[in-house]
Parts: sequence; C-alpha cells; structure tokens
Amino acid sequence: MSLALSGLFASGLSVTGFRHILLMLPLCLSIAVVYKTLRCAHVRQIVPAALALWATIVAAMGAVGLGLWTLYLLTV
Amino acid sequence: MPDAAIPTARVPRNVQGVGPDLEISPQPSWSRVALAGIASWLVPGLAHWLLGERIRGIVLLVTIAATFWSGVAIGSMRGTVDPQERRLWFAAQVCAGGNTLAAYGLTLLTPRHVFSSAPVPTSASWLSAEVGVHYTGVAGLLNLLVILDALARADRRGQRRLHAVRGNEGVP
Repeated sequence: MSLALSGLFASGLSVTGFRHILLMLPLCLSIAVVYKTLRCAHVRQIVPAALALWATIVAAMGAVGLGLWTLYLLTV
Repeated sequence: MPDAAIPTARVPRNVQGVGPDLEISPQPSWSRVALAGIASWLVPGLAHWLLGERIRGIVLLVTIAATFWSGVAIGSMRGTVDPQERRLWFAAQVCAGGNTLAAYGLTLLTPRHVFSSAPVPTSASWLSAEVGVHYTGVAGLLNLLVILDALARADRRGQRRLHAVRGNEGVP
C-alpha cells in the first residue's frame, strides 16, 4: 500500500518553460474556494463568490505581472 | 443563576441556530474550542463537520487535501516536505497537520530503491520542487485559516447554547 503511494509521489512532474505559470490557476482557485467557504453565510453562495474571487485574483496578478514586465522593458 | 448550577438542560427545537434537542454539557467551552482546533489541524474541515457544518467541512477537506497532494505530486515527496532543507516552508506545511504527517511519514517509510528507480529523476527539477513547495505551503496556511475559523465557530456555538438556556429559564 505504502509502496504504491510512494511510487505515485516519488517522482515529481517535469515543469518547464511557461507551463509553470499555468499552475498558478488551480492554486488561486483553491485559495478562493477556502476563503469563500469560510466567509459565505450560506453554502450555495460559495461557488459564484469563489469564481468571482478567483477571476479577480488572476486578473490582478496578470495586471501586476504585465505592469512589471512593461517596466522591465522600458528600463532595460 | 450561576453557570455551575446548570448541569444539563434540554433546548427546545425552536431555538434558532442551536439545533434540535441539544444536550448542554457542563464541560467548559475551552475544551470544546481546543478539540475543534486539534480536529481541524489533524483533518482539515473535521471540526466544521463536527460542529454541524457538514458541506463546509467536506469542501474544506477536499480543497486543502487536493492542493497539498497536488503539490507533493508536482514536486515529489523528498523535494517538497523537507524539514532540513526548507525549514520555513515546513513550518507552513505543518499547519496542514495530518497531510504533512502522512507525506513525511511516507517519505521516511519508503525504501530508498523506490526513489532511485523512479523513471524521472527523484529530485525533480528545481522549478517543479519550488511549485510543489508553494502548493503545500499555501495548503498549510489555508488550513491555518480553517483552524482559526473553527475555533471561533466552536466558541460562538458554546455561547449561543448558554444564551439559549438562560433565555429559556424564564419561559414557563
């Protein structure tokens, strides 16, 4: 049993290039889901609120990244 | 009437937010709060489940476990949960309690040949390990939020029960 589980987690994934940026999306989703699960008074409000927060986080991080990249291009 | 004089009491079904026919136990609220904290640390969402917030508890359990074990799968066990090399990240991961203990125990119990015969190099690339560490660390910090919320809910639940009992004392 533990050997099978070990085999599953023994070797990591090979993450290269820009693909690692896409891994930000599920991480932001889990942050949004946990936060809204704790904050929402009613359970049925969780899904729309979490999706809205997820979109906000991703858009804000994208905007900050774009701004820093533009700043980098202008200064270097 | 002082608190010590309330051994047990029946709460009627129409008391909002208390639940049907709950027995008021004489145990102090700090033990209930401590139990909620320990349960939430060991299994994320368990305290919410025990407090009656079943769907909330399941959502928290699934989300935090999925985040944590995705991180371990991305970064590999040895590259992700490593108290020697990544002390601060391990401090964050420890907040995920049972998940971290399971991952660390699995690392210690796994024979070395499993790691050495892995098709991809066991020490996954630097980037994979970093992503995995971030996933597991964030899962731990999210569980810290869950623990604090469980503590607050357990404390509020105790106060509501006490108020319900006191409110019913004057009712014939």
